[in-house]
Amino acid sequence: MKNLVNIKGKNKGLVLYLDDQCAYSELLTELKAKVSDPALDSDTEVTVHLNKRYCTDSQIQELSEVVATNPHLKVVGTTSDILTVEECEQKIIESQSETYVGIVRSGQVIKAEGDLVVIGDVNPNGRVEAGGSVYVLGRLKGAAHAGTKGNRDAVIAASWLEATQLKIHDELETMTDELSSLSEQPEMECAYLHKNGTIIIDRLQELRFIRPQISTFKGGS
Amino acid sequence: MGQAIVITSGKGGVGKTTTTANLGTALALQGKKVCLIDTDIGLRNLDVILGLENRIIYDLIDVLEGRCKVHQALVKDKRFDDMLYLLPAAQTADKNDVNPEQMKELVTELKKDYDFVIIDCPAGIEQGYKNAVAGADHAIVVTTPEISAVRDADRIIGLLELEENIDAPRLIINRIRPHLMKAGEALDVNEITTHLSIDLLGIIADDERVISSSNKGEPIVMDPSNTAALGYRNIARRLLGESVPLMSMEKAPPSLFTKIKAVFTK
Repeated sequence: MKNLVNIKGKNKGLVLYLDDQCAYSELLTELKAKVSDPALDSDTEVTVHLNKRYCTDSQIQELSEVVATNPHLKVVGTTSDILTVEECEQKIIESQSETYVGIVRSGQVIKAEGDLVVIGDVNPNGRVEAGGSVYVLGRLKGAAHAGTKGNRDAVIAASWLEATQLKIHDELETMTDELSSLSEQPEMECAYLHKNGTIIIDRLQELRFIRPQISTFKGGS
Repeated sequence: MGQAIVITSGKGGVGKTTTTANLGTALALQGKKVCLIDTDIGLRNLDVILGLENRIIYDLIDVLEGRCKVHQALVKDKRFDDMLYLLPAAQTADKNDVNPEQMKELVTELKKDYDFVIIDCPAGIEQGYKNAVAGADHAIVVTTPEISAVRDADRIIGLLELEENIDAPRLIINRIRPHLMKAGEALDVNEITTHLSIDLLGIIADDERVISSSNKGEPIVMDPSNTAALGYRNIARRLLGESVPLMSMEKAPPSLFTKIKAVFTK
């Protein structure tokens, strides 16, 4: 009989490849048997790969619990080869860019699922939020929140970065007093989340080294 | 058919009511028929500044609730024969006793008989504000060179820009103190206008006589020699379509000669 659970070693622990054609109950039984193998006796990190089977959150939970019946195995994540239509559409929306032309005034909130481009100023007490990155062609004097849905690679870039508050994912940075930084010339800066969890501001030109993955441009000569 | 202009600011105490009184008076002096509406129900002031307090018989609520006709409630300013009228706010009701539809209807009716209907808006962005802007075609935002006032002006402009029936709001910067601006202690005119990015309608110098004249019930604009009065007169002319250059706030210190002259001309 074909193996329903294949265990493979990867550089950082084990990957359990689960068959995607058999019945779920069969899979559970087989998985139980596999993880209780006495040969698995050293502490290992495990990733569960579902192949092309769609599992609900509670099923994923159940599978993880089964694996965890062996005290040496620690589930660090589940991966799968499929997306639901809903998830896929959400991903498309999040990869799109929305443009707002105008001034975001005090009390106004502009939100985008994906990237947000504001052509105009964001005034104090105005707020811009994006699932992706925020780009302001103008003065950013209010608050900006990038990566609202957990994207830690999102950035905030502005011609004049004079924001009162910057937030990327769940890291908040309160900026210094706005009056001290009013300048005639655009500074062209960008803010990003450093690996150590703090928000760093750098020249806009450095973005190509800091977040090369933001570039979606292909081709050209 | 005249036009209805709402005077608003968001923040209180920046000079909405003073501006309404003076602008209305200046337009009346220019030969326009003007009706001022005080929508600050419960905290009416416009009548005091115009010196018409004692002559109020009916008020805005009386009109809206049908206890009197509009013309019965209008208080005529006798100084400007038949040119300036006031519809006073009620003092015993509150802002929730009026709704925007009623205001719209009232303003539309008044526009038939007057060249300008100027609506004095209460501070805040709640019901009183909504009532005040309901019937307006144009909006004037009053601010002062203070960050707090500019913040509130920004908020109000954002709200006004959402109103479909109101043209792009215009700005009046009130209570300008040239020496503070020059020293960089207060926001300057340029900073405020670029920050708010709306058209500047005019600037008014800070002047103590504005206060004393308001207390006397005589709008400052009646004194043609005063700089604040000149500011209001210029704004009135701009509203009438004239192109008047922005007055300079730079004032040469009075020379010894002018001081001596002043002694003799008093």
